[in-house]
Amino acid sequence: MKRREFLRKLGVGGVAALGMPYFATAQARPVKLAALLPLTGPFAFAGNAGREGFVDGVDYVNEVLGGIGGRRLELIVEDTGYDVARGTAAFNRVISRERADELLFVYGDSTGLSKALAPEIARIGLPYSATSFANELADPKTYPTIFVFGPTYNDMVEALLRQVRLQKGRAKIALVYSNTEFGRDPIPYAKERAKALGMEVVHEEVTPPAFTDATPVVLNLRRANPDHVILQGYALSAEPLILRTAREQGLQARFMGTYYSAELALIQRAGPAAEGFTVTYHNAYWYDTLVPAVEEMRKFRQRKGRDTSYRPTYYMGSLAVALAVAEAMRRAAAAGKLTRAGVVEYLEKLGDYNGLGLQRTYQFVNHRLPYTKLYRASTRDGRFNAITDWIKLA
Amino acid sequence: MSDLLPYLIGGLANGALYGLLALGFVLVYRATSVVNFAIGEFLLVGAYLTYTFALFLPLGLAILAALPFAFLFGVLVERGFVRPLLGRNVVAVIMATIGLAAALDGAVQLLWGPDLKYLSGSLPDLGFHAGEVFVSSRAVWNLLLALPLGLGLLWLLRRSKYGVLVRAISEREVAALALGIPTARVLAGVWGVSALLATLAGALLAVASGVGHNLVFFGMKVFPVAILGGLDSVGGALLAGFLLGVLEALSQRYLEPLLPGFTEALPFLVVLLVLLVRPYGLLGERQIERV
Repeated sequence: MKRREFLRKLGVGGVAALGMPYFATAQARPVKLAALLPLTGPFAFAGNAGREGFVDGVDYVNEVLGGIGGRRLELIVEDTGYDVARGTAAFNRVISRERADELLFVYGDSTGLSKALAPEIARIGLPYSATSFANELADPKTYPTIFVFGPTYNDMVEALLRQVRLQKGRAKIALVYSNTEFGRDPIPYAKERAKALGMEVVHEEVTPPAFTDATPVVLNLRRANPDHVILQGYALSAEPLILRTAREQGLQARFMGTYYSAELALIQRAGPAAEGFTVTYHNAYWYDTLVPAVEEMRKFRQRKGRDTSYRPTYYMGSLAVALAVAEAMRRAAAAGKLTRAGVVEYLEKLGDYNGLGLQRTYQFVNHRLPYTKLYRASTRDGRFNAITDWIKLA
Repeated sequence: MSDLLPYLIGGLANGALYGLLALGFVLVYRATSVVNFAIGEFLLVGAYLTYTFALFLPLGLAILAALPFAFLFGVLVERGFVRPLLGRNVVAVIMATIGLAAALDGAVQLLWGPDLKYLSGSLPDLGFHAGEVFVSSRAVWNLLLALPLGLGLLWLLRRSKYGVLVRAISEREVAALALGIPTARVLAGVWGVSALLATLAGALLAVASGVGHNLVFFGMKVFPVAILGGLDSVGGALLAGFLLGVLEALSQRYLEPLLPGFTEALPFLVVLLVLLVRPYGLLGERQIERV
């Protein structure tokens, strides 16, 4: 063989060898993950940030991690408008359109939608999670394929009550919550647990999920004179107004909230009244640059020419789900079990994974991750600062 | 009484916003018989206009700067959506405003993005203590703007030439045209004023709780307020706004502990009860034609 011919064949062979995995990936059927998110409507801010987290997560899996066992991970996004009927229609559309051996995970929106879909999800054995942290969903006996990627609302309240107990043993607690499934979910537990911890629930205030005047709410709180007020079920729709009004009316109580109140927009909207507001939050903030996932995604977004400025908590939450689900899929694929049942099996065995630090661990306990940190709002820094390490809640 | 007073003040301040928004709604209905289902979106657009101007102007000036643009927006809506449908079946016009609401929801998200916004800066602090009661700056501003504006509009409608023209058109549009009244211009002005009032309500709300899509839900309150006051009564809208604001505050104080969630349903329950006794609302005219 002549030297020139040898080099040509070597070149062709090399290109083929290098390109084959990509060729194979392109040819193999994709693995699909569907996200049903509120891209329009009152929670569009959260839905769009969440979508961005999924897009980044899926792109990262395909481009950096090499996909799922040589197959491409494909993201399907549908808008729910934060409406159970629209969400159900979107779910049915996706389920009827996609093949069962390709669509291996669905991420839904809201407590209401998830509870509505839960029986059907259990029937078809579809791995599922949602923006909701409702206690009822973390029940593997009833819903063996549903996972809650974080602590439940009950767990979050537990973390807050433990913090209250550290500050004042026999504290007086007030519960302010929206008249929604999201708002009501942890209230029975909060009352029972507060009593068990020797605290007194001195006031309960039920409100619409969004309102324009917090004066009556705050005046009622002032009459009850609690040490701590726990807000639940708002997702930034009312907390800033309540905090501002409380400050105006001279209410001395300390305010607390759960995961969906842990966003910087709360500090921006409430201004100085947000100082000291304590929240539970179980992912990393975009400014937690010591967390490997944050650094990695900053670099990744920079390479992709995407905006690297602050990404909201809803982005981080979706990213944490996307990376963990992809990891479970990759492990299932490696074991030759890349099916819906296989994904459930490997999600349950994900205890040694932490999503580049986005979670403490993905060791599910009753299909939820019972770990959180507490953060406190600092208006001077314009952000939430961690005041505890990981708290184990089960 | 000192216990009750802060609730009453809070209720009146909130009711002032209800009244402001309902004024614009009723004004349009009175002049054109159009039920504007996009009133919540008018408020949303107004809040976002204020937010935009507040990026480079002090907040007070930003609100003032937003008002002429809001007026123009109202005029454009009348020209583009309402006028082509005048004289058609009323259902067609209602459907058009519902479609307009959906289009505006989408347009706002496209133009300003889905992220939550907040207004930088604040209005001068007018809060004060009256004995043991604290009257918040927000309450003072709401009352200070809504009350003179509402009463002024009422006066204009009754006494000014423009008001007479609006009333003439609302009585009989064809006759008004025959008399040489510039109907098209007057009606466009009515829609402009409606958008302007909604913008003011939206700006005052945005000052307190930021700018976001959930402001649209505030627009839902306009229906019980307007129906309670009388769909064709500008004064009734203002009165019903204050009434509902106070009733909601009192309900949150006294009824909510007994009946959780009751306050949310209260405006509609009040409307139901009032309609049973006075089908034309508190101050509405008897010959009102319901759709």
